[in-house]
Formats: sequence, C-alpha cells, structure tokens
Amino acid sequence: MQTEAQVTAPRVRSTDVLVGLLLVVVAARFAFPGVFDVPAVQAWSTVFVAVCLQALPFLVLGVLLSAAISTLVPPSFFARALPRRPGLAVPVAGAAGLVLPGCECASVPVAGSLVRRGVTPAAALAFLLSAPAINPVVLVATAVAFPDDPEVVVARFVASLAVALVMGWLWTAFGRGRWLQLPPRHDHAPGTSRAAAFLAVVQHDLVHAGGFLVVGGLTAATLNVVVPRAWLDAVAAEPLLAVLVLAALAVLLAICSEADAFVAAGLTSFSLTARLAFLVVGPAVDVKLVALQTGTFGRRFAVRFAPTTFVVAVAAASLVGWWLL
Amino acid sequence: MNRLTQHLLLVLLGGVTLRVSLGQGYLAYVQAGFRPLLVLAGALVLAVGAVGVVRSRPGADDGHPGLSVAWLLLAPVAVLLVVAPGPLGSFTAQRQAAPVVAPLEGDAPLGIGADDPGETHRTMTLSGYAVRTQQGDTTPLQGRSIRLVGFLSPREGGGWYVSRIRIACCAADATAVQVVLAGDVPGAADQWVEVVGEYTPSLPHPSLGYPEPALRPVTVTPVDPPADGYED
Repeated sequence: MQTEAQVTAPRVRSTDVLVGLLLVVVAARFAFPGVFDVPAVQAWSTVFVAVCLQALPFLVLGVLLSAAISTLVPPSFFARALPRRPGLAVPVAGAAGLVLPGCECASVPVAGSLVRRGVTPAAALAFLLSAPAINPVVLVATAVAFPDDPEVVVARFVASLAVALVMGWLWTAFGRGRWLQLPPRHDHAPGTSRAAAFLAVVQHDLVHAGGFLVVGGLTAATLNVVVPRAWLDAVAAEPLLAVLVLAALAVLLAICSEADAFVAAGLTSFSLTARLAFLVVGPAVDVKLVALQTGTFGRRFAVRFAPTTFVVAVAAASLVGWWLL
Repeated sequence: MNRLTQHLLLVLLGGVTLRVSLGQGYLAYVQAGFRPLLVLAGALVLAVGAVGVVRSRPGADDGHPGLSVAWLLLAPVAVLLVVAPGPLGSFTAQRQAAPVVAPLEGDAPLGIGADDPGETHRTMTLSGYAVRTQQGDTTPLQGRSIRLVGFLSPREGGGWYVSRIRIACCAADATAVQVVLAGDVPGAADQWVEVVGEYTPSLPHPSLGYPEPALRPVTVTPVDPPADGYED
C-alpha cells in the first residue's frame, strides 16, 4: 500500500503514510488472528494499554496546565513569585510540588513550560522532582498501603523532598544552560488570539509527549512480562543488593506514583529501606519519565539528569531509611 | 509529519480511549473508579484533534522535524483495535504470585461472618480467605463451607489454583492471589469457576516452600467470567 502511494504520488505526505499504516493494522487483524491469542502477547498488550490509559488523563492535565502557563500566565508572575536567587528559589519550588495532585506524567510538561517562561531551571527541576512524589494524593496512598508502618510516609516525604532540593542545588552549582534543548515551539503570528495559541500548544504537546509516553509503556510492559516475581524474591535477603534491585525495578516498571506504594507494600520479602528506595526512585526516574524528559528538555539533558537523579535518590532513600525505618 | 497527521492521530487516540471507557473494555486495564477521568481525557483529546482537523488548511504547514516519535501514538490505537487484550489471567497469575502476608501474632483471629442469606456457605474474596488461612488460629474457618470465585491456573507439578488478579491502580501493578484446590479438579487454565469447599491446612509451594492457602473443593462449577474480574 505504501509503495503504491510512493509510486503514484509526487511526494509522500505523512497523511498517506498514516492511511497506509492503518490499512496494515486492519489487514493484520484478519491475516494473523491466532498470533494475538498467545497468552504472553495478550498479557503484554493488556499491560501496555493499561500503562497508556492510566497515564493519559494525567498527561492531558499536565499538557493543559503547561499550555496555560505558556500562553495565559505572564512571565512577570514567576519573577515575582520566586526568590531571585536560584539557591532560594529551589526550596520554594520544591515545596510548591505539594499542590499539584498528579503523577509524574503531568509534571514534566509543566516543568518544561516553567523553563520557557524564564523560571530558573534549578527551581523548575526541583518542582519536577517533588510534584509527583510529595503531593497529598501520593502521601495518602502511601499511608493506606502501609497501615502498620506510618513512618514510611514520613520517610518518603523527607527522602523525596531531599532528592528534589539536592538536584536543584546541584543544577545551580554545576548545570549548564546549553544542556537544555527545549524543542522549538511554533510561535503564533502576532494578532492570533490567546485561545488559538493555547489550542496550538495543547495540540503540539499532546502529540509530542504522548509519543514519549508510549515509549515508556512499551518498556514497562515488556519488563512486566519478561521478569517473573520469583526472581525478585531471590535477592531480597541481601540488604545492599535488595536496595539496588528495587531501585532498578522502580526505573524499569514505570508505575504511576499514585500506585507504586501498593506495589511496594506487596514486596513483603524486602526490607522497608529497600521498599523506600522503590518509592523514592520511581517518581524521580523511570523509563517513561526519561523518555518524556528527553522529549521535553533534549537528549543532552536527559543523559546527565537521569543517572544523577538515580544516584541521589538511592542515597537519600538509604540514609533516610537507616535513620527513620 | 504534517499538522493534519498529528491531528488525525489525536482523533484516533481520543476515539479509542472513549470507546473502551464508555463500554466495559476499560475494566481489563484500570480500576472501575478511573472511568470518569478516562472519558474526560478521551473526549478532550478527540476534541482537540477534531478542531485541528477541521481548521487545518492543506499546504499551510508541511513537515515538522523531530516529531517522528509521535508515530508511536498509533501503537496503543493499533493494539486496542487489533489485539483488544482482555483482563490478565493465568499467565500473569503464574508469574506474579507472592507469599500471603500473615496477620500480626497475638491479634484476635478475624472471623468470616454468617453464611450467605439463604445459603449454607459463606462467599469470600480470595485475598480475604488467604489472609485468614495464615492466622495462628484458624478456628473461624473450621467446619465452614466456603465459596470462592476465580479462574483456574496451573500449579507447578500438577493440580490447580483458583486465582484472582489484584490491581491497585492499573494492570501494570497486578499481583495474583492463589488458593490451592486440594483435590482432583478437571478443568482448563483461565476457566472461571465457582468453588465451594472446606478449609484445609496450607501446603508448601512446590519449589519455593512458602505456605500456600488451600481449600478442599466439594463442588467446582464453571461460571461465566465477571465483567470486572480483578479484586481490589
């Protein structure tokens, strides 16, 4: 179908490709009906669709907020609201994370538009890390998931806020503006209405961030189907290894921060500190987030930010776990 | 990728999201309470895409570098249309099973309540039954007739579990609750059954050794899968 289009049309447009791909999809349904009944394919598909659907409302919320910040809120507002010195703006922005009740998919586009609006990147990054980890919904979910260990809620709050502040201050000290490559945004021609500008930003960001969300969904579904639970329980007895394994698991599973406490609560063979690492790392670094960050801030940023955040988050969780749990 | 294609992708994504969330399909992926958010998100994405399609003018803007990742939006649409995956079943149950957490020592044993109205058995959730089998004192279960509903999943070394998948948020955080059917039961994996039986002491997991809750089945009746097969 596509090759035909290439021969006859003077130039292949993406709409032609889209129509071609859709025909392939429809053809696949009739050509290989049996393939899709294999249990592993079914389970993979269910988890993949679940990750995408679960994240979609939060992504839409984040995109709407971010578009509102980009087009409706004047830049002077942030200049007034945040302290001028980045070192002070970081804790203010980190504490502001308390008020955005959503999961991590919402906070990435919002942080991106904050940077566009002239907010110092250090503060935007502190907000990016704290918003999905310490908002009330997540803390209540954690309390519900650990009814016998209320100190886990305190430990999660302290460790996650510490990660946000440390990463913000690290950026203030060592960050380079050229690492940030925000993709060009089609600026509306002067004279178009604010509503039209808002709509254009929403359309662009939904397509863009949605694509990166799918990358995360593909990874998480594959891992979920490939790694059986018994492998995990085998390493739970080694204290240090257990922390690292659960931290790595949090990166790979990419579970929404509102649900991760329930998963952690179920990992009963692991120590509370190891499970705290799972809760602190998950909302800060996971495959879906790294993909979204790559899309929002550029690859040069993501390759530096993600590994550093991982190290800081594991260290914070270990220290706080040793202190409080 | 030109603007029109982007908008068409949004229309497709919003359309399939609305389709699964307005029917029963979404119950295979997320919690029932998540439906309003999904409907809202699907409708918004569809509307944003549709407005874009209606207002786009051909040739006004062609090509937008760096948006090739947007093609991936077609993946969830295609998976939902072609595979239309159902709820997780015995494949996941075999991989995501975990030891049942024993209640704290010294607590008063949890009771199971009176028999169902007009019946001689007590219906329990699988997790409710599993927790009570791990108490130090199992007298509330002794001599009672217990009804469980779940699907069959194969046990290592032969035999069946009756199983349910539990989800906290979405199918990505699924864990399995399994109860060994201690006795000969004919059946096939993923067949939904209603089991009425009696408490029997837990059996060790065939290879890992942790105690697995068990039930001695008296009757096993195939039933239709429920609309929402997940346990909270």
